[in-house]
Order: sequence, then C-alpha cells, then structure tokens
Amino acid sequence: MLAEHPSHLQSVKRHIILVGKPNSGKSLLFNQLTGLRQKVANFPGVTVELKSGQMGAFEVVDFPGTYSLSTLSRDEEIAIEKLNEAVNSDVTALLVCVLDATRLERSLVFAMQVQALAKQHGKAVVFVLNMIDEVRRFGHHIDTQALSKALGSPVFALSAKSLEGVHEFKQALPELVERADQLLPEHVSEDEISVIQRSQSLAQEFGIQTDVVLKRQNRIDAFLLNNMLGGVAFLAIMFLLFQSIFTWATPLMDGVEEGIGALASAVTGMIGPGMLTDFLNDAIFGGVGSFLVFVPQIMVLTFIIGVLEDSGYLARAALICHKPLSYFGLSGRSFIPYLSGHACAIPAIFAARTIESPRKRLITMMTIPLMSCSARLPVYALLIAVLIPEKVYFGGLIGLQGAAFFGLYFFGIIMALVVSALLNRFTRDNESLTDMPFILELPTYRLPHWKPLMHRVLNSGKQFIRRAAPVIFMVSLVIWFLGYFPQDQGLQNSYLGQLGHWIEPIFEPMGLDWRYGVAILMSFLAREVFVGALGTLFGIDGAEDNLVGLASQLQQDGLTLGAGIGLLLFYVVALQCVATVATLRGETGRSRIAWGLVLAYGVLAYIIAVTVNTVIG
Amino acid sequence: MADSTMTLWQLAANQTAKVFGLAEAMSPEVASRLRQMGFYPGQSIHCLRRSPLQGPLVVQLGDCVYSLDKQVAEGIALHP
Repeated sequence: MLAEHPSHLQSVKRHIILVGKPNSGKSLLFNQLTGLRQKVANFPGVTVELKSGQMGAFEVVDFPGTYSLSTLSRDEEIAIEKLNEAVNSDVTALLVCVLDATRLERSLVFAMQVQALAKQHGKAVVFVLNMIDEVRRFGHHIDTQALSKALGSPVFALSAKSLEGVHEFKQALPELVERADQLLPEHVSEDEISVIQRSQSLAQEFGIQTDVVLKRQNRIDAFLLNNMLGGVAFLAIMFLLFQSIFTWATPLMDGVEEGIGALASAVTGMIGPGMLTDFLNDAIFGGVGSFLVFVPQIMVLTFIIGVLEDSGYLARAALICHKPLSYFGLSGRSFIPYLSGHACAIPAIFAARTIESPRKRLITMMTIPLMSCSARLPVYALLIAVLIPEKVYFGGLIGLQGAAFFGLYFFGIIMALVVSALLNRFTRDNESLTDMPFILELPTYRLPHWKPLMHRVLNSGKQFIRRAAPVIFMVSLVIWFLGYFPQDQGLQNSYLGQLGHWIEPIFEPMGLDWRYGVAILMSFLAREVFVGALGTLFGIDGAEDNLVGLASQLQQDGLTLGAGIGLLLFYVVALQCVATVATLRGETGRSRIAWGLVLAYGVLAYIIAVTVNTVIG
Repeated sequence: MADSTMTLWQLAANQTAKVFGLAEAMSPEVASRLRQMGFYPGQSIHCLRRSPLQGPLVVQLGDCVYSLDKQVAEGIALHP
C-alpha cells in the first residue's frame, strides 16, 4: 500500500524515522542528512523532543535514543509510545536504525528489537553501521553484504563524522523507500533469549575484538576516574566551567551591548526628543535590551554542558558523584539534572525522568530550582558588577568576580543538598524496594562534533529569548507607563512611585528601597525581569543616556554591601519562575508541591536576605 | 551450591569471572534490561576498578563498560 503512494499522502512529505541507542552517533547523522534547518516538536504534556528536518522529498524524524524497546523509566516509556505510533502511521516510509559499528553486540540487541517491531507493522528497516572509519582504524573490516544477508535487511556502512558513505546513503534512500515492501525480512527474532544469543554470535562473526576498542577509553578512565586525580580533575572542570561563563562571555556581551547602544542612538536620533524617544530609550532599549545582553552567556553555558556531554565526560561525572550524592538521598543520575539546572530548571526537571527511583526523582525535582539557572545570570552579573571590584589574581587565571559567581552557584548547590537531606530524612520511604538500581554505561571518549553542538547552542539562545522576551516586554511596558505618568512629576510621584511606597515596608528589612521592591515582585514572573525592570526604573529616573551601564547607576545610587549580598542570596534561593512552577506541577502531578515550594523557598530567601543585611549592614 | 557462588560485588579490581545468573528477588523489568545489557549467563566480566567508601564499581562486559552500585551488583551471581 505504501509503495503505491496513495493520493491522500501526496501533499504530506513522507517520513523517514531515525532510531538508535544513545551514543550511536544518531544526532550527528541526523544533522548531516538534513542540513541547517530543523524544527523541534514538543508534544503537549510530554517532553519527548522529536527533531525533524528536510531531506529532498522526505522529512527525517529523529527519535530520542533509547537502550531498549522494553521500558524502565517514564522517559523511555513516552519515547517508545511515540515510536510505536510513528511505526504504525501511513506517513512513515522507512525506519533507519543507527548502530555503533565498534560495539556491534549491544547495538544488534536493539536493532533486532526495532526490526521485529517494524515487521509487525509491515515497515522495512535499513541498518546504518556508523563510525566505520574507527573500525578501519582498528584494522578491522566488516563484511556488510554478509551481515545484511544474515540480518535480512539492508546494511550501510558510513561515518557521520568523516562523511564517508553518507552521500551514497542519501542517494540510495529514495530507491529504498520505493521498494520498501520488498525489504521486509523473512525471519525476525521476537523473544529476548534468541535476540541476545543471535546478537552475540553475529558480533563474534562480524565485530571487532572488544579489548581493542575499549583500550583507549580504559586508559583515559584510569586517570579521570582515579580516586585522587579524578576528584581533582572533576573539581577543576567544574571551576573552569563557571569561570568561563564569566570570562568567555564578556567580549560577546560587550558586543551586544554596544550594538544595542548604537541602534538606540541611531533610532532615537532620527525621531528626535519627545515622549516616543523616552519610551524607546527606557522601556525598549533599557528594559528589553538590558536582558538581551545576557543571551551570549546562556549560550556559552549551553556550549560547555554540551561539550561535556558529547565528549562522554558527563557519565563519568555521574559516577564520581554517585556515592557523595547518595548520602543526601540522591543518585548519581541526579547529577545531570542538577547540572542542566544551571542552564534552565525546566529541561532539568524533565531530565530527572531518567532517575528510575520515584522517590529520588521527586527529591531531585524539588531541589532543582535551587540550582542557579541562566535566568539568574543577568541578576548575578549585574549585582556582582555593582558590588565586587574587578580584580584579577594569578596572571588573569582567577578573577574576583568569577570567584563570586562560583560562590553563588556553590551556595545554591549546598542549599539543594541540605534540603534534599532534610526531605530524605523526614519523608516516608516506602518505594525504595522497587527502585531501579544505579547502572550506567560509560561511553567512548570522543571529540565533540561542532554541528549538533552549534544547533544546541543556537536553540538555547532562541528559546531563552522566545520564552522570556514577551514577559519582559510586557513588564517593561507596564512599568514604564506607571512610572512615566502623570507626566513631568518625577518617578517619586508617579503611579508606580505611589504603589511602590506602599509596599516599601516589606523590603526595608532587606535594606532595599521601593524600586528594588517593584523589580523583585515583578521578577516572580521570571527572574530575568529584575534587570529589565530596574533598567526601566533607573532609566526614567536617571540621566538621559541610560545605557552608560545600569551597574554604575546602581553604584552611584548607593546600594550597600549587606543589602546587595542579601539580595544576591535571595535570588539564589527564591523560586521566581512561573514556567518552573507549571512544570513542577505537571511532573509531580501535585500542585500542592509546586506552590508549597514557591512559598517555602520565598520565605527562606527573605529570612536569609534580612539576616545578611542585618549582620553585614 | 549457594556458598560456592559469589556476587559481582565481591569481584576485586582487575579480576575476571563469568556471569552465572541474576537474583530471583530482582524485578522482571530490571532483570530483562540487565540481560539485554549483556549480563547473561556465561558472559565474561572484568572488574576495571573499585571506588572508595563502597562507591560504584566499573566493569567491562562484552563491548561495553558499565558502572554499577552495590545494590545491583549484589544481585548478579558469578561462577566461582
């Protein structure tokens, strides 16, 4: 039926589905097949991301990597449910299953499960032996024709990295789709035992000797997992990560700031003075612009986490952290959600799905908001620039501001661990017997390829802007109107000033005046609003050229050290993000937990800020 | 019989053994996943390293390197 191209399918591009185990190089192959443009589909309610891109007459859909078609975690359950739907769909023309040619046995177990599933729905599978260049480097040759005969499905050998064989594969695909109904295997292995045994014997016949493949990986692990050196390396990598967020991003941020400044003076120069210029300067360039400056920093952070993941180090970090984290009722798998939480809490909460233990997953999700996400970066960067002098030690290696950054992140992590330990101690444990134990594959160390990394970095910037910009724009707009009118009365007598003075008593113990109070309240929508709101407020109040730097304006305004540090710690602890609350509610299934956390972290943050302000003064 | 088998948790660093089977107390889903990962009777398993303070151990099994904690390693029986 499919080969005949039914007329109702003519308008829809037919799909080629890409599946494979994690670390099989599937994402890179997807990028090589589809080129630069790709779209990411998020299903309402679930988080399995399906990337799709165009390849000639076809749409290639990249499914998330799974270890098996039998499920253990919720994450896998949803991915496999979606895969079943797709295999069943008439739009699907062909399945492409990516195998790691250097690790044939494990890849084949998954490949045969896919083959059996596809055959059930009358769909053909094409196998791709990826990383064939590495196989050759080990002096080995895989007879793809004989393997294809043994498996009963076509087999292509290629390297998504060196592009060897990719062009030929691309050219062969239309013809494969055309005769897909002739490609169905005669015999598939259905039950687990025969899949395992057949994979074993095929791997022995066609695969490389495993000791050869794992030699280099094991040699690097001897250093990076060493009891002493491994710990030192781990701490050094984490420290460099936080340093570079600050130092690498600075020139990029300066560039964006100058660009916005140039644009602002060009635009307002054309319009001339008046209310419109005031509005553009204060609300648009001052409010929205001051938040755009931090986009490069978010992209640098995503880049570094991406490098760690693609290089294979992240799994080692989870292994190193497992024992220490278990003292706080967490798992080594909590490390990856925690680390992602430094970019954004939302994907991090979703990443917690890989923690099979329901209890550890809940504790991890509840403490992720304490990780300093990128939305706090603008707030940290601004206040650190105000409070901490720009001093450098050890020939530029360690900066005082970078160290302050590290301290804030560290404070968040310590708070998360303390809260986890308390939750673990004071909640009942009745599920741990059914817990999936800790077992982790340590992938081969690889030099990350720039293509998937670049997509990831660009997406992080795009998503950050798309999510935050509308909120920040609205808030800037509202604040500007409330602060600008009644006209020519000054900020103190504006509508906003009147409102602000009314709430000032709440923020007085923190050592802050009403303008900070307004910005803090607004940032309960999203933290990054704080900088935009302050930018707008000080823009209205201050000199006409508000892009001199909000930091120096705050400095001149006289923010005390105690109030400033208290405010910083407030932002570490408080849960100020509507999107995170919604995600927590969805993932835990209980809105009581989500709103309870907002209240609890809010009160805790306030107490800390007031205490610090009182002690330091 | 029970005395002569040892568990994976007892395997010292740089030692090799063969997988004997999985503990019956293990949930069927977990056992099935472990078999698919290669923890299958007769497979040769090599301990690459042990971590301090009873932390996870690292083993090489077939073409993969895995890290397992005490809980799961105690559920995998080895030939003596």
